[in-house]
Amino acid sequence: MRYGGDNRGRLLIIVLIVTSLFLITLDLRGVSVIDGLRNGTQTALTPFQKAGSWALTPFRNFASDVTHLGRTRNQIEKLKSENEKLRNTLQSRKTADAQLKQLKSVLNLAGSGGYKVVNAKVISQGPNTSFTQTITIDAGTTSGIRNNMTVISGYGLVGVVKVAYSTSALVQLASDPAFRIGARIAKSQQIGILSGQGSRRGVLELLDNTTTVKVGDALLARGSDNGRPFVPGVPIGEVTSVDNSPGAVTQTAEVKFYANFSTLGVVAVVVTNPEADPRDSLVPAKPRPTPLPTVTIYASPSPSSSPTTEP
Amino acid sequence: MTIRRYLFSIPIFLVIYTLQEAFISQLRLPLGGFSILLIFTLIWATLSTPEVGALTGFGAGILMDLSQSSPGPMGHWTLVLILAGYGVAFLGYGDDNIRTNPINIVLITTAGLVASQLVFLLIGLLLGQALGSISHVLFLLAGSAFWTAIVSPLVLKIVSFTHANVFGTRSLI
Repeated sequence: MRYGGDNRGRLLIIVLIVTSLFLITLDLRGVSVIDGLRNGTQTALTPFQKAGSWALTPFRNFASDVTHLGRTRNQIEKLKSENEKLRNTLQSRKTADAQLKQLKSVLNLAGSGGYKVVNAKVISQGPNTSFTQTITIDAGTTSGIRNNMTVISGYGLVGVVKVAYSTSALVQLASDPAFRIGARIAKSQQIGILSGQGSRRGVLELLDNTTTVKVGDALLARGSDNGRPFVPGVPIGEVTSVDNSPGAVTQTAEVKFYANFSTLGVVAVVVTNPEADPRDSLVPAKPRPTPLPTVTIYASPSPSSSPTTEP
Repeated sequence: MTIRRYLFSIPIFLVIYTLQEAFISQLRLPLGGFSILLIFTLIWATLSTPEVGALTGFGAGILMDLSQSSPGPMGHWTLVLILAGYGVAFLGYGDDNIRTNPINIVLITTAGLVASQLVFLLIGLLLGQALGSISHVLFLLAGSAFWTAIVSPLVLKIVSFTHANVFGTRSLI
């Protein structure tokens, strides 16, 4: 027998729907109780997330490795040889050393740019179920982290602190569809707006249609007032393709972020604006092709040699 | 009586929510991964009456909204899951051919989850949220369907057993 419903059931559904609409209205009006609830939940969950991070560390990158199986043969060969080297060197304390490496590169970047940073470990990655790209880090307001601070990794921009809790913080990744940042092209200083697309590639819209952008151009953060949400000079990514449609109102380009968001382990939050804009000093150096050694052999007949016949 | 039994399910959902936030979220699975809370909720609702399905959706929606990674306002997931919980329960209610057949439950759960995410996106659009490229959204929806179809059969027996114990009925699966 199919369900026909009764008045009590219908009343319940109506009450539940009205309650949810009431909650949406309260939240959109900025009622602090709702924020308090979320903060409380996050504070309660942080120890569990830390425990989960510790327990899942050995398995965490397995799925990420599986997704990269479709690379070209050369890349796979290169990775295999690198992997072999890493396996030998990182046999013991693999995770700790990897995090140390990330920490070192992020400190190098922060030191070069004159940023004062607070380092943090990534303890959770937000689910994609809600179509957002976020991570949770294990440092919060007690470490000096506030909302709208720039988050970097050793390669460049990671995102921005969306919500800072007491001992953790939610970071909106640069790949999040809602993410926007003012960017400038290194050297040419052309400016534009870069937006996340949900993947490792973003879209740059140049503000001036008469300027030109080339594949391989490096992008840097323009910076905001008082360095929040973005400090100036942080490397963002590299232009991989340019859309030069003749009828387009603005010129657009596809950008590949320097940071790999799926393998983030250690990040740094920039807590103080640098005294001077680092300008283009943080643009990563392009890899130089190693010249192959050429060996030339000259062969000349020996003067004493003479044809011999075997007896 | 039903409400009292419904209250018994709250700690179960809290455990599932903690499991999702502390462990599943950190697995970094390909295709966007899955939400065990959503899967658990929809299977639970499929096995329940429409009223309990809606109530289950309400409770799970509140938990989803409390998640720090939830982009929308509080009540966004709640509204979606009330409708989804009621919908999937309504589909299966009174028809033992559906509720006793694991394949049907997996199909309803998978379709319900994808539909929930679509409704979530539509309401998000109405509320002015950015969604990203269409291809990315389609990719995530396909990923959700894939993972739900994989995970739901694995947890179906556990959910059915727990549901039967909470509501004092006999597990039909």
